[in-house]
Amino acid sequence: MAHENFEIADGVDHQVAMVMDLNKCIGCQTCTVACKTLWTEREGTEYMYWNNVETRPGKGYPRRWEEKGGGWVSDEHTERTPGEIPASEDYGEAWEFDHEGILKEGEDKKLAPEGGKPEWGPNWDEDQGAGEHPNSYYFYLPRICNHCTHPSCVEACPRQAVYKREEDGVVLVDQDRCRGYRYCVEGCPYKKIYYNAVSKNSEKCVFCYPRIEGEGPDEEIHPPACADQCVTQLRLVGYLDDTDGPIYKLVEQYEVALPLHPEYQTTPNVYYIPPFAPPQHSEGGETVDVDRIPRSYLEQLFGERVHDALDTIEQERQKVERGGYSELMEILQDTNPAEQYRLDRTGVFDDD
Amino acid sequence: MTERTTWTFVGFAAILVVASAAIPALVDARPAREVPAPTVEGNLSGANADGWAEAPAAEVPLSAAPSGLPNAESVNTRSVEVQAARADGDVFVRLQWQDTEASRNASNPNAFLDGAAVQIPVDTSEQPAIAMGSQSNLVNVWYWTADGDTEELLAGGQGSTTAFENETVRTWASYDDGEDTWSVVFNREAEPDGDNRTAITGEDDLDVAFAVWDGANDERSGQKAVSEWYYLPVGPDDGGTPFASILWALAGIAIVAVVVLTAQGIRRARSEGDGRL
Repeated sequence: MAHENFEIADGVDHQVAMVMDLNKCIGCQTCTVACKTLWTEREGTEYMYWNNVETRPGKGYPRRWEEKGGGWVSDEHTERTPGEIPASEDYGEAWEFDHEGILKEGEDKKLAPEGGKPEWGPNWDEDQGAGEHPNSYYFYLPRICNHCTHPSCVEACPRQAVYKREEDGVVLVDQDRCRGYRYCVEGCPYKKIYYNAVSKNSEKCVFCYPRIEGEGPDEEIHPPACADQCVTQLRLVGYLDDTDGPIYKLVEQYEVALPLHPEYQTTPNVYYIPPFAPPQHSEGGETVDVDRIPRSYLEQLFGERVHDALDTIEQERQKVERGGYSELMEILQDTNPAEQYRLDRTGVFDDD
Repeated sequence: MTERTTWTFVGFAAILVVASAAIPALVDARPAREVPAPTVEGNLSGANADGWAEAPAAEVPLSAAPSGLPNAESVNTRSVEVQAARADGDVFVRLQWQDTEASRNASNPNAFLDGAAVQIPVDTSEQPAIAMGSQSNLVNVWYWTADGDTEELLAGGQGSTTAFENETVRTWASYDDGEDTWSVVFNREAEPDGDNRTAITGEDDLDVAFAVWDGANDERSGQKAVSEWYYLPVGPDDGGTPFASILWALAGIAIVAVVVLTAQGIRRARSEGDGRL
C-alpha cells in the first residue's frame, strides 16, 4: 500500500503499532504478569516472557541479547545478519520452589529455588543501572515483539511458518507449519521468538490479536493485555497509518517516538518516547547542566534521531511551562482511552 | 603361425570372454547404488536384532544438502551404512553411522537432536527431485529423531514437509557408546492404506535416499548430510540394471574381436615373412 511518508510492508493493509513512553515506566512488571498469565502458562513456556521489562543499562532478557546477531545487513533487506540462539541459561530457568513441603508438610528449610543456587534469571540486574552516586542512573525498557515491517524472522524461516498478517501486520508463527527449526529465533535481532521444547514449536507475542479483533466473550475490542493492565498507562496502541491518531503524530509528525535499535534494519512497529532524568548533581549536591542519562547511551539504543526527539520534547515542554499550548504534550498526557487505544478501524480507514 | 599357436590364441580369447563376464560379477556383485533387500527369516524388529546379519550392507556416501540455509555446508556425517530387508509383507531399513556424541535432548533452546530419514517416491515408477521431491512428484519421508519420535511425512519440494495424521512407520534405535555409532531401524508395511503413501508392490525397484542430522553440530531442517538416489531391487528383475549387463557384454565382444584380429594379423605377417625367406 502506498503511503505518503512512511512505509507499510508489502501485502499488508494497515500496520498496527504501539508507542511506549519510557518516562512513565515504573518497572512494576504488571505488563509482564498480564502477558504471562494470558499466554505463557502452558507447559514448555515457563521460561518465556513475550513481554518483559528490563533495566537499562543492563544485560537484558535474554542476557546480552543485543550481542546475539540477527536482522539485516542494510536497509536494502537483501542479506540477513547471522544470529545465534540464546541458551536457556541466558533466558534464566523457571525456578521451582517447594511451597508444598515448607508450608504444608513443615519441612525445615529455606524457601529457595530447588536444584542449586541460580546464577542468572530475568531481571537479575534489576535497578543496577550505571554511573556513580550521586549520578547513578537507570530506566526501564518494556519489550514485546516489534511486529517489524521487514521482519527478519519471517525471512529466516525455511517453511514460511512465520508470516505477517495481511489485515494488520501482526507477525505470527503458524503452529501447524512450524517444525521447531529455530531459524526465526536466531534471525530475530530482538530475540523475541522463543522455542517451546514441549510442543517443539517456536512461539512469540501475538499482539493479543483476539483482543484487538474483539473476539473475547464480550465481543468488545480491547488493547493488548500488556497495555490494558499497565499501571501508569504508558502505552498507546493504534495503527501507524491512522494519520489522525496519536501514534502517527508521535512517530511521523513530531518524530519523538523511536524504534529500538534501528540499525538492525527490521523497521520495528513498537516505538519509544526516550527517557528523561533529572540533571546530574555536583559532589556538593548542586544541580549541574549535564544529562544524567548520557545521550550517547540513548543513541546506542535509539539511534541518532534520539537527539532531535529529546530536543523536540524539551522545547514543547518549555512551551507549556511558559503557558502555551502543545499538541505533543497533550498527546503524551492524554488519559482518554478512545485516543490512547485507537483500534476500532471502522470509520478510520476507507476499506474497513 | 602354426596350428598350435592359433589354438593358443583362441583359448586365450575364450578365457578373456569368460573373464570379462565373470570378473565384474566377482569384483562387484552389486550394481552401483543398489541396496540389497533380501527376504529375511530372522527377527528385524530391533536396532541390533539377529535378522540383520542376513542382510548385506551398502556403504552410502553423504554430503551437505544445498539448502541455502545458514551453515548449510557444515555437516558432520560423511557416510551411512544401509541395510534393507523384506519380511512378511513389511519393509525394513537399517541405517548405521558414526557420531561421537548422542544428542537425545533438545530441552535447551539452542540444543538440537540427532536424526535420520529415509526418502522414497510416492510414485515408484518415476524418480522425483532428490531435494524433497516436487509438487508434481511427491515423496514419503520416514523421519526419526533421537528423542524417540518417529514421523511419517509427505513432501513436494523444500519447505513443504507435512506429517501424515496416522503414522504407519515404526523405528528402533540404539547408540553404541563404545563404537560411537547410531543404529536406527525403520519399518513399514510394504503396502499400507492411505493416499500418498508409497505402495511397495514389487512392480518397480524402489528409489530411496537417506539423510542424517548431527544435533551437536546444530544440524536441522535443510542443514543435513544427504545421499544421492539409491534403489532397493524389489522390482521384477533383481539381476542388476540392464545397461550394466549390456555394457559388460559389449566389452567382452570387443576384447574377443581385438584378440582375434591381432592373432590374424600376426599370422598373416609371419606367413608373409616365411614367403620372403
